[in-house]
Amino acid sequence: MTTMIHVENVAKTFTLHNQGGVRLPVFDAVNFSVAAGEALVLAGASGAGKSSLLRILYGNYRPTSGHIHITHAGRAIDIVAAVPRTVLDIRRRTLGFVSQFLRVIPRVSALDIVRDPVLARGMSPEQATARAQAMLARLNLPERLWNLAPATFSGGEQQRVNIARSFVDPSPIMLIDEPTASLDATNRDVVVELIAEARQNGAAIVGIFHDEAVRSQVATRYLDITDFRKAA
Amino acid sequence: MTVHVSPPDAALDPAPLLSIARVSRFYGERIGCADVSFELWPGEVLGIVGESGSGKSTLLRCLAGIDRPDAGEVLFRGSGQPLDIYSVAEQERRRLMRTAWGIVHQNPRDGLRMDVSAGGNVGERLMDRGDRHYGQIRERALDWLARVEIAGERMDDRPRQFSGGMQQRLQIARVLVSEPKLVFMDEPTGGLDVSVQARLLDLLRVLVRDLGLAAIIVTHDLAVARLLTDRLMVMKDGHVVEQGLTDQVLDDPHHAYTQLLTSAVLSV
Ligand SMILES: Nc1ncnc2c1ncn2[C@@H]1O[C@H](COP(=O)(O)OP(=O)(O)OP(=O)(O)O)[C@@H](O)[C@H]1O
Ligand SMILES: Nc1ncnc2c1ncn2[C@@H]1O[C@H](COP(=O)(O)OP(=O)(O)OP(=O)(O)O)[C@@H](O)[C@H]1O
Ligand SMILES: [Mg+2]
Ligand SMILES: [Mg+2]
Repeated sequence: MTTMIHVENVAKTFTLHNQGGVRLPVFDAVNFSVAAGEALVLAGASGAGKSSLLRILYGNYRPTSGHIHITHAGRAIDIVAAVPRTVLDIRRRTLGFVSQFLRVIPRVSALDIVRDPVLARGMSPEQATARAQAMLARLNLPERLWNLAPATFSGGEQQRVNIARSFVDPSPIMLIDEPTASLDATNRDVVVELIAEARQNGAAIVGIFHDEAVRSQVATRYLDITDFRKAA
Repeated sequence: MTVHVSPPDAALDPAPLLSIARVSRFYGERIGCADVSFELWPGEVLGIVGESGSGKSTLLRCLAGIDRPDAGEVLFRGSGQPLDIYSVAEQERRRLMRTAWGIVHQNPRDGLRMDVSAGGNVGERLMDRGDRHYGQIRERALDWLARVEIAGERMDDRPRQFSGGMQQRLQIARVLVSEPKLVFMDEPTGGLDVSVQARLLDLLRVLVRDLGLAAIIVTHDLAVARLLTDRLMVMKDGHVVEQGLTDQVLDDPHHAYTQLLTSAVLSV
């Protein structure tokens, strides 16, 4: 199996300069790999650093030390050391991040939000539209909302747009942070299916799920972040 | 997994559009900006943030060919060899400023000809570029007015008959009609109402994306930076204190000043 993520000696400490320079050690010496077709679920108590680790994998937080090799277009690239345009290229083609909330862009319709990533990857507008519509339908978003901007949608509706955007064309690596928190049981099951399908099609998944049932349906492996807690 | 056919992408560009090395500008004893270096690649959008007086406009003016820096160099690579924009003749620099890049001023009055019609403001840029066919110039001007959401029937009105938001959109049309590769903007949504700002921002976001423009945008608004930029540079007292991907700098700021800046706003 192809290794998609290789984490080497990653540590993270936050330094809060405006609060007396207090240092918040989160984890240290994190080492693991994730292969294509695997779903690694991050476990650990609230505040253990699960989201921080996921954000570091995405190149959003910067680790205090260590390397993260992402397999991008057949090559392993250290996202920690990569220049911004390389990170953006990795995100466009290889790394997807599914957050807990949709970041609403003023005046952009739900359909356009979902179509956008596939258009950016070069799919024809007709094909992209058809895909986006199918995904919104699958997540039970009422058709009357498709052409509206999600600013006025409910939390669950916004989150389904967010998930549709992420899964309309799953990336080779999917990083997922609590995607089902604001969803009802029916839609939660759709999300579990979408994750399973992406994985079966070869995606490498790293996810955080509070819901025990969802967690056990998704996981092929667990990693407890608490094991890397820095000896303070 | 589907096979992704990637569009021509920035990572494959062979060279930066702009290379800035150790640029400094002083006003007597006072530092305007000091020792700024970075590269900008085709299609990248860079934001410059920082408190009032930190040197953002000073730096932008040095980069855009308006003010000569006291030290350092600004290399622009259009097609062919990189060019030090301050070593070429004044006339050549002026030509570049009109054709190779564009400048959107905070105050539309600084970027528009207030005594020339809206259509004339846009068409003039095409003539600067060498277009001579009147019908085509008019058609393109109309097309651009439509793209910035100004009705064609306002084409013969003067900018002073427009609202602030319309003037700003007209300025943007005037800058973009000549298809520059690079655009400089100093607080493009500065003096506008929040609702007008949102519309303008959306317009800028779509234009920048569809035209594959590289841009440098000065703003004090972190939400604007989040929406429009790929990279961010944080300035304080004339110096760049932190730079990186926009979401990195905003979500995991390392420098004390950036932490102060991001904690001062509710949510960006
Ligand atoms: N940007 C940040 N700046 C400073 N401290 C941060 C930042 N992000 C996270 N932290 C701190 O890092 C620690 C780990 O937080 P993180 O969000 O990663 O935990 P988590 O395991 O995802 O928790 P939860 O299950 O509650 O979501 C916490 O103490 C948190 O306050
Ligand atoms: N023409 C000038 N003559 C003298 N000092 C100047 C001049 N222009 C700017 N300065 C000074 O240089 C410093 C940087 O000014 P600049 O206009 O670049 O700041 P800025 O970051 O754009 O601020 P703002 O957000 O308020 O527009 C300030 O201390 C300013 O007073
Ligand atoms: Mg979390
Ligand atoms: Mg200024």
